[in-house]
Amino acid sequence: MEIPYTRTNRPDTGLFNAKIGIWLFLASEVMLFGGLFSSYIFLRVGADYHWPVHELTLWPGFVNTIVLIVSSVTVVMAWANLKMRKIAQYKLCMWVTIICAGVFMCLKAYEYNGKFHHIGVKLTDGTILTGHFPEEGYRVKLKGGSTVTLNLQTADPAYFLKWCVTPNPQFKTEAGQPQPLDQQGALMAFIDALVPGDHDSSSLGQLRRDAAAKDQKSVKLTATAPLEFAVKESKTFSHTATSITFRDGTVVEGASVEDKMTLQVDKVDVRSSLDEDKALAWHYLGDEWKKAFEEHSKEEAESHKKFDPRDERYLRHVKQMEIHAPTVAEHNTQHGGKHSAEAHAPGEEHAAGGHAAHYPEIVIDRKDVAFWSSFTPKWNTYYAIYFTLTGLHGMHVVAGALVLFYFLVFDGRRLKEDPEHLANRVEVGGLFWHFVDLVWIFLFPLLYLL
Amino acid sequence: MAHDNHDDLSKHVKTYMKIGGWLIFFTFVTVGLSFVELPTHGDNLLVGMALAAFKATLVGLIFMHLNHERSLIYKVLLFTLVFVVGLFVLIYLSGQNPLHFGGFEGVTPGH
Repeated sequence: MEIPYTRTNRPDTGLFNAKIGIWLFLASEVMLFGGLFSSYIFLRVGADYHWPVHELTLWPGFVNTIVLIVSSVTVVMAWANLKMRKIAQYKLCMWVTIICAGVFMCLKAYEYNGKFHHIGVKLTDGTILTGHFPEEGYRVKLKGGSTVTLNLQTADPAYFLKWCVTPNPQFKTEAGQPQPLDQQGALMAFIDALVPGDHDSSSLGQLRRDAAAKDQKSVKLTATAPLEFAVKESKTFSHTATSITFRDGTVVEGASVEDKMTLQVDKVDVRSSLDEDKALAWHYLGDEWKKAFEEHSKEEAESHKKFDPRDERYLRHVKQMEIHAPTVAEHNTQHGGKHSAEAHAPGEEHAAGGHAAHYPEIVIDRKDVAFWSSFTPKWNTYYAIYFTLTGLHGMHVVAGALVLFYFLVFDGRRLKEDPEHLANRVEVGGLFWHFVDLVWIFLFPLLYLL
Repeated sequence: MAHDNHDDLSKHVKTYMKIGGWLIFFTFVTVGLSFVELPTHGDNLLVGMALAAFKATLVGLIFMHLNHERSLIYKVLLFTLVFVVGLFVLIYLSGQNPLHFGGFEGVTPGH
């Protein structure tokens, strides 16, 4: 079926059909982003914490703004060149637009990666420390592991083994024979022997049915030698001084459980501390860092004395300190060479010595931590709306670039036989692209600058 | 688009580049001004958003050709604008307290 008015304008509207279509679509997009921008305002006005200002690393957002502006110019130039049948220039402009989209998304991925690895820790007195975990991350550790109780209805036998750091763990059978349990198959066969029945050892479902039929709720495995576990907190359900209960119901008992968090600190924020002089941060960082902070506060207070001490901007400068070195002496000599750790992805400039080579490393008692998270939507509503807005915008960039790529690469026949129709298509794709740029024009200052 | 003429389009290409340059210039201005601490942070927000609105207007008028479009498109956009403004008015209303209750006249607790 021939679609009417793809090249020429309809007499009643004075527009070709696709153009009406894209403007109606853009109108719905305005409503979508309008709703999200109003959510941003709502969250900002109602925030019960210090809303981040100038917290994101500026340069990726700034470069992306320039990249989108350049791409907006090139896409409209591509359309004009095609109208003028300057095919080489048209193709060049389209390629530049698509490359710009690629650059934009690469920078976005770089930013996101940095946030996924950057950690915020809110202590029980309200003090906030930010930084990075060591390479192995934060783990709840159990030493002298002796018994493992598997709930036969809920447990996955391989679940707890993943977090056992002792190589080749062995458990005793009822007859006292040691049984290596380094893989799921061996473990299943072992449990199979403990649950009487005519079942296939590779089927967890059958094992569960047999256990239920015999009203057997659990099996207890005894280790032949003490085991050590290092478990991700999210994989545990709870823990006591001598045992860890995993999320699947498996209970590992041992001699002791240590729940401490190692953090390489890159910023101290005492704006919400109950008593900044006795903030828990100083208990862990020590008096030297406290003194450095006090000096920093004094300097900043002097240079921001025009502000009311309750002003958010005064607090932002005076009650926070970025840390740039592992020791106070080095920090003081490097002062001025500020860099935010926020966008640093592990494995880049810190590859040689890790973050530990750049920041002081402290070990925090878990009981002193009120809340912790990476800089993802879980951390606060600012990051929730940041990821929602930029994620949705990023999807628009990808979609727009794919459409333009299709016109450029797979619409060659139309270019030869019906360039006017292709020009209309490029115009419509370009209108969408300009809308993507227009949204970013508002996003950049709201998220990065203000 | 009304201007399909070759010469017209050549002139427009130059305009697009010029506007692109201005947009980049205003991006630098926006970043620079965000570091200037005006009397209140609200002033910074106002200036930043005014600049963003100006840049968005340039994109709309020049790149999206809204400076000379058919009336149907303006009607569609006007319709959208009414609803977007409505959305933002809703935020304002959320700051009010429609559930304010002064208590029942003549009724005292415990009775």
